Amino acid sequence: MEVKLKIWRYDAYSGDRELRDYELEAPEWACLLDVLDLIKDQQDGTLAYRKSCRMMICGSCGMRMDGRAILACKERMKPIVDRGHVPVISAMGNMPIVKDLVVDMDPFWSKIRRMKPWLEPGYDEVLERERIVSQQQMNAIQKEALCIMCGCCVSECNSMESDPEFFGPAALAKGFRFVGDTRDQASIERLEDYNDEHGIWDCTRCYFCNERCPKGVDPRDAIAKLGAESVKEGIDRDMGAKHAKWFVKSAETTGWLRETELVPKTQGIVAAVKQTKFAIGLAKKGKVPPPIPPHVAADVGESRALRQLVREQGREGAQGIIQGERGLARIEHTDAGGARRDAPEVTPGEEPPKAEG
Amino acid sequence: MEAKHDVLIVGAGCAGMRAAIEAFDAGADVALLSKIHPVRSHSGAAEGGINAALGNASEDDPEKHAFDTVKGSDYLGDQDAIEVLCNEAPEDVYQLEHWGAVFSRTEDGRIAQRPFGAAGEPRTAYAADITGHVLVHVLYEQVMKRNIQTYEEYFAWQLVINDDRCQGVIAWDLLNGGLKTIGAKTVILATGGAGRLYVGTTNAYACTGDGMTMALRAGVPLKDMEMMQFHPTTLAPTGILITEGTRGEGAYLLNSEGERFLKRYAPNAMELASRDVISRAEQTEIDEGRGVDGNVLLDMRHLGAEKIIERLHGTRELAMTYAGVDPIHEPIPVRPGAHYHMGGVDTDLDGRTELEGLYAAGECACVSVHGANRLGGNALMETITYGKRAGRHAADWALTHTTIEVPESVEADAEHDLKLLLDRSDGERPWSIRNELAETMHENFGVFRKEDQMREQGEIVSGLRERYEHIVVDDKGDVFNNDLTQALELGFLLELAQCMVVCGLARKESRGAHARPYDYPDRDDDNYLMHTLVRWVADAPVLDWKPVKMTKWKPMERTY
Repeated sequence: MEVKLKIWRYDAYSGDRELRDYELEAPEWACLLDVLDLIKDQQDGTLAYRKSCRMMICGSCGMRMDGRAILACKERMKPIVDRGHVPVISAMGNMPIVKDLVVDMDPFWSKIRRMKPWLEPGYDEVLERERIVSQQQMNAIQKEALCIMCGCCVSECNSMESDPEFFGPAALAKGFRFVGDTRDQASIERLEDYNDEHGIWDCTRCYFCNERCPKGVDPRDAIAKLGAESVKEGIDRDMGAKHAKWFVKSAETTGWLRETELVPKTQGIVAAVKQTKFAIGLAKKGKVPPPIPPHVAADVGESRALRQLVREQGREGAQGIIQGERGLARIEHTDAGGARRDAPEVTPGEEPPKAEG
Repeated sequence: MEAKHDVLIVGAGCAGMRAAIEAFDAGADVALLSKIHPVRSHSGAAEGGINAALGNASEDDPEKHAFDTVKGSDYLGDQDAIEVLCNEAPEDVYQLEHWGAVFSRTEDGRIAQRPFGAAGEPRTAYAADITGHVLVHVLYEQVMKRNIQTYEEYFAWQLVINDDRCQGVIAWDLLNGGLKTIGAKTVILATGGAGRLYVGTTNAYACTGDGMTMALRAGVPLKDMEMMQFHPTTLAPTGILITEGTRGEGAYLLNSEGERFLKRYAPNAMELASRDVISRAEQTEIDEGRGVDGNVLLDMRHLGAEKIIERLHGTRELAMTYAGVDPIHEPIPVRPGAHYHMGGVDTDLDGRTELEGLYAAGECACVSVHGANRLGGNALMETITYGKRAGRHAADWALTHTTIEVPESVEADAEHDLKLLLDRSDGERPWSIRNELAETMHENFGVFRKEDQMREQGEIVSGLRERYEHIVVDDKGDVFNNDLTQALELGFLLELAQCMVVCGLARKESRGAHARPYDYPDRDDDNYLMHTLVRWVADAPVLDWKPVKMTKWKPMERTY
């Protein structure tokens, strides 16, 4: 098949960027990585990109296609060629570019290391046999253990774009891999640590990491689980934790979110007082219901019953986090054949739907 | 010289990292050096599992494991090395579990074990179908915990030999450019295999036999180089691996007539016969016209969606991505593909080579535990047990020897050779040579071998080596110049190919992966119960032989 693509080249010496066009003949089974190989072999040996396993497990070939992070070895070219689309290939985001499609992964790895990413079993000597752990307990960290450290989630992370010091989705998913491991004896210390500035509560929940992870790790789910575990363990000093707690409390008591109390409960009385003027403005426009008497939902019993059920089922903390839909779609299958697998709402080559309004 | 260490380990897959951890814990100043980041290593692509007689799924003991391995090796494995492996395996697996490896579990919470090819008991401990991935990451966690220095994206090119000792490595710094010399009292090669010799291979692009050739060029012999294993279930045309765990879980192999053809080749073990047996059976079916577009079919539909999703999730993803087939609903077309080099750098039980200060472990080494055919699940185990042993011995030796000296002339010579290559502006780019090598090796040195084809391959490789002398690299820069390193990798592969042909021609029998049905269809214990040994002398391979170490098991007929 005749493949056309554009690649953002980056000159390591001058820092100049240039979007170059490429055309070549490739076999129908080719993935993006195979196409890059053909270009490097037959057109330009100076094209730089990382690669190794070409089977989605080594994590070397993270890059962007049409602005979204992908593994080059995972993207089949035929559907793209069939649509007549010319994809644009560029380096991953949120990491400095070294050359062409190669980024400096040092900032990525320093954040991984910051998580103290090794098991703390609480003893030094190896016991005579393995520890007894149920499959169910192992499953609790199954998705996080799939992470191949390719950097696709970090590339797409909106929080990191505004705060480069944010721990980021890959490091936090690695953190949950230990917090969620029943064998780890340092979970409380970890949660204390991960609750620091630039930590779990700085995630904006944009879900790009879940969306773009090529392995179904769903890092945002891991961050949610870390948050839930923190609250369960009483580690709630961050405004993010207080905010989340108030949602629960508010829904449980009255069935509604009581916004008037949300600010003082989240940010504290002092911060709330400072916002009095703003609150009065809102109230004048009828945006704030009067706090007294509290507005109790008609069916508040249902919301209370739900909360009770969560308690009875022991779904406090990480156990209560609903897993990302994409993770479930990935393993979904139908009797009719052909699973619906991680189809992004915009596949490369398609025009994204127009935003409404 | 950039730096000095007691122990320098080249390659950071399972064997390299396990060696580094052991040497560090023994008190040595350790560094890892790898052309790719440690977690990118190809150990991570191992899927099915790791063999140890834990006895969690049946009554099992190390002696049964050893016998299966000896038999599987077609009696070419060194039995002392096999006994060491099988005896130390259980404790080494427990160690991995205590470091946090996410193993799959039995109902009573122990490490789960599944049946694997040519194993008398369900002995393969596993983590779903991503066992290698889990082990690479748990080892890297331990490397981070110890803060072991790692030279990432350093391409090792030459060993430093001085005073009849290996005293370091000369490497190309990929990110910044330039040759860097890292001095070391001991060097452990853990660079993995050389599957890139073949066009259809399960191996990563990184598997170019670097360590084997570096040792060879340093005068150290390689052993059993003709023994390249073909894995029975790889995807066309790329050779991407579909784990033996599929058959361990009960998948069938079918020909175009829907027949489980293994009943004619291995009536007892069927799909769980050893890999060499199954690869030959498949190739025979395909050659005799009972294939499906050059493949046979791996059918796991009867396992059911639940089991496939729980235990073979990665395999399903691979089949869907690279073959367009959902194994829940359709069989996967598979064929034999180059997978594992049983041969490698000749070492003793502590990973020592003939050259003082030089060690090897993992696939790049040949202890030999796999002989003429490796059992599935034994490779990961070998990386751990023999990585550990090499690391410990290298550290002990380094801590009692104190000098490192790298003569300036050694570095100057390397600079000179590299400059010659980089300065050349006219000539052939390496890729066509690389492709021809891989295609012809597949054609002439594959599952079945013929005398005239092997001779022809020898001539082809000589011709390719001639052309290689005049190659030109496009990229002359310093930053991430993998155009240069890929050219150097091709140089490694070409010399290995020549060694393999020489060994293949010399072994006039059929044993394990070396099958010569047309002229020497039988095993010949009277003449060839010996390892081939090959040295590099005056730019050519020179053949030698070495006896197999036997302890308890006399060669018997091998049927499954």
